[in-house]
Amino acid sequence: MQNPEGGTREEPRATPRKTLIAFGLFALVGVVFGAVSSYDFIAHLDRQVHAITCSIVPGLAAPDAAGTSGCHAVLMSPYSSVLRDYTWGGIPIALPAFGVFAFLLFRAVDLILRKQISRRETGFTVAAALVPVATSMVYAFISMTRIGTFCKVCVGIYVASLGVLVTAIAAHVLTPTSTDEPGKGSLFGLWGFYFVEGVALVALPILFYLACKPSYPDSLLQTSGLRHPDDKYGVMLNLGSGKTPAVEVMDPLCPACKAFAERLAASDLGADLDTKLVLFPLDKECNWMVGESLHPGACAVSEALLCAGPSTREVLAWAFDHQAELRALGAAGQPAVYARIKRDFPGLAGCVGGPLVRARINRSLRWIVANSLPVLTPQLFVRNQKIPDEDTDLGLDYVLARVLARGAAEGGAR
Amino acid sequence: MNTGRAHVFLMLATLAAVGLSVAVWTRSAAGRLAENRGKAPEVATASASDMGYCTGDLKVILRRVLTSCGLVSGGSSRGCQPLQARQVAAMSGGDFNALFAPLSARAAILQFDKDSADLDPAAIEQLEKTFADRRGASYFFVVSRASPEGSVEHNRDLSHRRGSAVLDAIKAKFQDPDIDQEVGLLWLGEEFAQLDQQFCQWQRSRSSEACTTADLNRSSFIAWIDCRL
Repeated sequence: MQNPEGGTREEPRATPRKTLIAFGLFALVGVVFGAVSSYDFIAHLDRQVHAITCSIVPGLAAPDAAGTSGCHAVLMSPYSSVLRDYTWGGIPIALPAFGVFAFLLFRAVDLILRKQISRRETGFTVAAALVPVATSMVYAFISMTRIGTFCKVCVGIYVASLGVLVTAIAAHVLTPTSTDEPGKGSLFGLWGFYFVEGVALVALPILFYLACKPSYPDSLLQTSGLRHPDDKYGVMLNLGSGKTPAVEVMDPLCPACKAFAERLAASDLGADLDTKLVLFPLDKECNWMVGESLHPGACAVSEALLCAGPSTREVLAWAFDHQAELRALGAAGQPAVYARIKRDFPGLAGCVGGPLVRARINRSLRWIVANSLPVLTPQLFVRNQKIPDEDTDLGLDYVLARVLARGAAEGGAR
Repeated sequence: MNTGRAHVFLMLATLAAVGLSVAVWTRSAAGRLAENRGKAPEVATASASDMGYCTGDLKVILRRVLTSCGLVSGGSSRGCQPLQARQVAAMSGGDFNALFAPLSARAAILQFDKDSADLDPAAIEQLEKTFADRRGASYFFVVSRASPEGSVEHNRDLSHRRGSAVLDAIKAKFQDPDIDQEVGLLWLGEEFAQLDQQFCQWQRSRSSEACTTADLNRSSFIAWIDCRL
């Protein structure tokens, strides 16, 4: 038989064909999930909002357009891509996953087409199958401990990873030991050749991605700042400890604001910011600018934040941790949210719901009006320059790095 | 096809399929980005509220009253004399009161004792509740009156003191830096736009007590006005 690494022949022997077919099917499942995940990430390079696939059987369930699924949380998390400050959005982790599973599928078809195979071949397949399993374990741990949710597409990849490993081991065990293997070419040479093929299949999509992705022109950073950045109403909450002045407009019950806070915290650049929060609850109980409450209960929780004083961080973390629950309470009416706040923070009982704090919330909204801001959250201003709204998710690290670098250069030039 | 060739063919096919897929997806996103560049985002801009009752006629009157009262022009005058109010409104007392009819859910009447300008606890509570419920309103009106007992001059002064007491209470409680541009005072004494019995149905600080027109007019009528000028 002609092998890629040389021309020696092995004795014909049976191949574990059925096991290899199962291995190929698991690899195909991984290819599909990797492709779906890569496609959803890449679609966001147009800086718009898109519905994303979030189903264990892609195409069967309706895509998530509301941004409430675990898939959305994972996609928008800082762990969905790497090198985010090098290129807008970074390089999606799904892309090498797509390449690895494509390589495993290629391996499966290649082995199935052969009349005989050696354990050296199946041994490499086992080693290659360890890559997605190891990556899946790391990402499952991150999903569980950092993001707090699992995405169904990711679970599909985890299952495919486990499947390819199990079937690769089975194929290896079922392949008879060859007596002439020691006489063949070097094991490292063979494995090295296959390794290079694998690297090519992982590197190529990344190179194509980097070559074809849209550039980010400087003109997109020519945004206006705040007309009245000063805090004359005394409504800003100081949460930062960095050196660069920043103002974040946020709603404590907005899922995008929570994800934004997590991205900022995960980014090294977030620590550079001396962030002041301005509350903009998108809840019609106090905000006349929304016809329907996008985040019911946000007015009461915003009051709690203004009442919290030195415990602001603690109350904000609590609000983020219980967002869904608080929104559900808010949908049933403000009193239920007040009751929950008073239960969890008895010290705020004398403040929330009172006329003074309600007037402060109103002043916060008037600050928004005075600055003619769009009715959306979150919004970030760094050195009184707005980070474009389209860049507060996947593009945050890249754009923030450029804004901070520009500020540093201007500071140095003075 | 021998195994080596099949291997190479398979490898090239896989590389092409993966590479082309990624290239097509990425170029597609780049194309959409180019199409959307320069398009204004479809997001509302934050603004003060402008309710349906803010008709053109009402805004004309409001602007006249607010300008004369020193709120719009930023002049030094603080509040309107009864005579000024009548002149700028250029309408009868009944028509003037009718202007406020759409505010029945937003307004409150703070009642005072006879010949007194002191806010009682119920009036203070009602004032704080009403002032805190600002929402998107731009202006807060305080329209003070007096019942017809006593001289015209005394009642004019009494209604002035009632309006000032309300303003002082707001300033002390809320410490709003914009208060001088927000709160419009009108003191009408007994001379103009006395409240009639129908206002007994509105929110009053003494809602548990009997309501006569004399009781109603020993008062400060307060309301946020949800109109943008």
